[in-house]
Amino acid sequence: MNASPETLPSALAVVDQRAAAKTNPETVTAIMLLLATVLLIFGSKLISPALGSWEQVLTILTLGSFLLVAAFGQGLVILTGGLDLSVPGTFMLGGVLSAAWIGSGDVHLWFFLPTILLLGGVVGAANGLGVVLLKVPPFIMTMGMSIIVGSIALGYTGGSTLGAAPTLLKALMKGDTLGVPNIVLLILVFSIAGWLLQSRTHFGRNLYAVGCSPAAARIAGIPITRTLVLVYALSGIASAFAGALLTGYSNGATLRMGDAYLLPTVAAVILGGASILGGSGSFINTLCGVLFLSTVESVIAATGLDQGWRLIISGTIIVLAILIQQAQASGARPGLSRLFKRSSGQPKS
Amino acid sequence: MATLIQNTVEAPPPWRGVMGRHPACFTLMLYIVMYGMYAMFDSKALSSYTFTNLINNASPLALAAAGQTLVVLARGFDLSIVGTLSIANVIMAVLPLDGPWGALASFAICVGVGALVGSASGYLVAYRGVQSVAATLGVMIICQGIALLILPAPGGMVAEWVSDEMTSTLFSLVPASIILPVIVAGLWMLLGKTDLGTALYAVGADQAAAELSGIPVKRTRLLAYVMAGALYGVAGFMLSAQTATGDPNAGMPFLLLSFAAVALGGTSLAGGQGGLIGSLIGAATLMLMQKVLFSGGVSSFYIGLFQGVLLIVAIVIGRLINRSRTGDRP
Amino acid sequence: MIQSMTRRWHALALTLTIAAGAVFMAPVHADEPKKFKIYLSLSYSGNNWMSETANIIKALAKTPPYDKLVDLKEVISGTDPQAQIAAYESMIDAGADGVISFPISPTALNRVVKRGCERGVKFFMYDSTVTESCAYNVSYISAGFGENTAQALVNELGGKGKIFMVRGVPGTSVDKRHADGAKAIFAKYPGIEVVSEYYGMWDDRIAQQETAKALAAHPDVDGIWSELGEAGTLNAVADRGGKMVPIVGENMNGFRLGFLNPDYQKRGLQGVSSGSPPATAGYAFKLMMEILTGKRKQEPVSIEYPLPWATSEQIKLCNGSKIENGCNVFDASLVPQGFSTVIHDDVLLPEIDLRAALEGKPVDGMTIQPLPAAIHQAPPEPGINCQRCEAPADHYKLTVVQPTVAGQ
Repeated sequence: MNASPETLPSALAVVDQRAAAKTNPETVTAIMLLLATVLLIFGSKLISPALGSWEQVLTILTLGSFLLVAAFGQGLVILTGGLDLSVPGTFMLGGVLSAAWIGSGDVHLWFFLPTILLLGGVVGAANGLGVVLLKVPPFIMTMGMSIIVGSIALGYTGGSTLGAAPTLLKALMKGDTLGVPNIVLLILVFSIAGWLLQSRTHFGRNLYAVGCSPAAARIAGIPITRTLVLVYALSGIASAFAGALLTGYSNGATLRMGDAYLLPTVAAVILGGASILGGSGSFINTLCGVLFLSTVESVIAATGLDQGWRLIISGTIIVLAILIQQAQASGARPGLSRLFKRSSGQPKS
Repeated sequence: MATLIQNTVEAPPPWRGVMGRHPACFTLMLYIVMYGMYAMFDSKALSSYTFTNLINNASPLALAAAGQTLVVLARGFDLSIVGTLSIANVIMAVLPLDGPWGALASFAICVGVGALVGSASGYLVAYRGVQSVAATLGVMIICQGIALLILPAPGGMVAEWVSDEMTSTLFSLVPASIILPVIVAGLWMLLGKTDLGTALYAVGADQAAAELSGIPVKRTRLLAYVMAGALYGVAGFMLSAQTATGDPNAGMPFLLLSFAAVALGGTSLAGGQGGLIGSLIGAATLMLMQKVLFSGGVSSFYIGLFQGVLLIVAIVIGRLINRSRTGDRP
Repeated sequence: MIQSMTRRWHALALTLTIAAGAVFMAPVHADEPKKFKIYLSLSYSGNNWMSETANIIKALAKTPPYDKLVDLKEVISGTDPQAQIAAYESMIDAGADGVISFPISPTALNRVVKRGCERGVKFFMYDSTVTESCAYNVSYISAGFGENTAQALVNELGGKGKIFMVRGVPGTSVDKRHADGAKAIFAKYPGIEVVSEYYGMWDDRIAQQETAKALAAHPDVDGIWSELGEAGTLNAVADRGGKMVPIVGENMNGFRLGFLNPDYQKRGLQGVSSGSPPATAGYAFKLMMEILTGKRKQEPVSIEYPLPWATSEQIKLCNGSKIENGCNVFDASLVPQGFSTVIHDDVLLPEIDLRAALEGKPVDGMTIQPLPAAIHQAPPEPGINCQRCEAPADHYKLTVVQPTVAGQ
């Protein structure tokens, strides 16, 4: 690694500073995203009087759940200064295998579902090993992995993805428990678990340290290799789980089912205020980013505009949201000095 | 292409510490080895016709990757490449201007549109401090929308002069489509002798140090995006020449491939290290890889497997060679 | 140091190139009896429709007498027109006799196709088309999926109601042709209001999610017009509970099964299943073989494949994987919901059964049956099968269904 010793104190200072002042700007971002989401939902009544209802919220939550689960993993990887472009591959893996191995008969579900998630984890761990041991840039490692997984799946299935959704997954997406839709419970449980893991455990704190400065983290005695491999593995598992959920929702799988989720996972994490360079971000913020993105999509879909205009509007909203977030973040403290410290001598490759 | 590399080797620029490492050499080697394999599999590989075809195929990606390199060097990712390419392509198809002067005008329009989009991304990133991925993602989506409004479905005809002349073989030896990449490489070497070239590396390597040494960080970054955008426009021009038609989704395949080409060309995706010429060769290598796998008879189901593995292995070897050559970096 | 290194590499590269050259100069022996070298070029794979077409062609190539006549190679080139251009170039250089292909773009491949034609390669495009006139197009596109299904929906609704239009992939000519045809019909009925128009990307998952969004905004919708992905459209409508609305769509198995579902029937599901038949690929392949083997004389032309059409009353479950007695949908345990069901035709493609379409294996004891001599030439469709041409005056005329309600 090429971090010179001189930069260590400043990097450590960033870790300290972050630990102290972590909550403020991030919380503001989260609250603003939530506010914008709520405003959008109520504002959408102008487009169609049927909108702004609980039905609509439930639709947004259901459709946002795949993105949320996959974005959790993406968020962890970005937190360490990496990027996981293998989401389409692992997402598809989870979805296709849930349909092909388990299917609507729930054959050996309790054995196969964990196995499938584990396979996603193995692919992720391979990413992590490539990044740590072979020093391949995460961008290339994960992109190559996605192509490889896609190709193996194509050869294995011959292009035809057989099978339908396991009933358990269907029930997870569509049923309810004691009058509460299962999907709402799932999102609650997943969000709390994700937040606890990322913000309240030793492992989670290690991620911030690794993302801020791997060199400093190493000196502080954090097992970098193990941490990074675990992070990529977790991302693979999350993404495979998201794929399984989509199979449950749509009662089937295709080899390209994960493609549409790659850029949105990155967008959700960054909308939540995380830095693409690593070292910042929280899962609650990612959750808010997902809710905001899904709501924007849903509301724009309700307009009768041309696809071209829809794209222009959603792109503009993303840029504006980030500009506003940027304005308040740099108001909170001088942004330049932050960049100064973050960019000094960090090997983000 | 060999001569280009030779030139840079023989005349190391003043900031040789950065550029003198020539990661592009490894990429060129890889290209030659793969071409050798291709020739082994396919007897027609050494004909000037096949070579022209290969260069025609590689030229748009090479130019696009060249643009991406500028942004990556300044430590950024430019996703707007998709939108700019698509817009340039649909403009070429709905507004065909024939004859050499028409082609020149089309070229100017493509470059202008690209620079305009690039300045939007660059402004957001450099002057508003928006993260490059976020800013360019927004710009990309907006541009895709604009492309769809200009041309709602694939179609239109690119001016015949462009589609014929830009894909022809000159003096029955030199593919016409290599001219623009060569010019870009030449401009790049000139750029290296200017303050802007030095600043580009400095900003990407260590923004704080660049700022302290009086380099106009914001302007440099903005210019990186503007130049990149212009190059995407040129790439769109060449793509139009090759497909002779417009497609509002034309830019999508270039997104990940451009990054792969940049990395394969030896440029660090973390910024500050590498160079544009490597990306040009990297792009050509990626396109050649498809041909080699086809002629090698790899089952098309598993072509992706080979592509992925080759990409990763190439990057690993490239890193090892560059490290052993330059010794331990500071 | 760097210079010597570079020089060494160049020397090595030179050696390698020479070695490669030596290998290529070795004489190539032609040993086997003449087989037709056919390439199957897919634009992308990974959805059911595309792999069914590939399997149908593979199964035919192994069905006697073609098994002795055909050397078939499959190439998948992704969604990138440039990659397909490169693939075609490789095929032409490899001395292909015929290329059978799903073209990714109607115009981008024209130049390479033209060059192939000049070298004597026969190009057969199935389902999607190219505007280059030296290629054979075999497609249902001109058969009027959009206008006929739209009219069926209007009839079902009595000429009045709010509807959704579930389109395909934005920016493709096929999607535009379908939607233009449908809109030409809807425009005749002032009582029909398109309240939401969205893109299902020809994918049942995406169609389902987009329909769920549209249903949240317009729960009072009266009917849905859907391109491929209609099994997902149906799922979204069914998930909502309560009354179901008429849906016209393509021929996914899950969609057709919906019409047999007693619960859905009770809730009022009606509709028509039409749209893109994978069988087109088999018909195109057989035509190509008849032309290559000299059994048929035919200049390049655009050929129309008949539009599949089954109303909800005409849906009939097949017994296992055999396709007989006019059955037209398979049990859910045999195929996924996204499976396109029109893989067989009693006249044009009797060689294919379900197993052939799923695994690419020939049917036991089956031989290739000759095609009827007559072909149905497609009308000009600007931007689809011809470049500088005019559509006929009766472009969107109805062929399968007639209006039962008077329009304007």
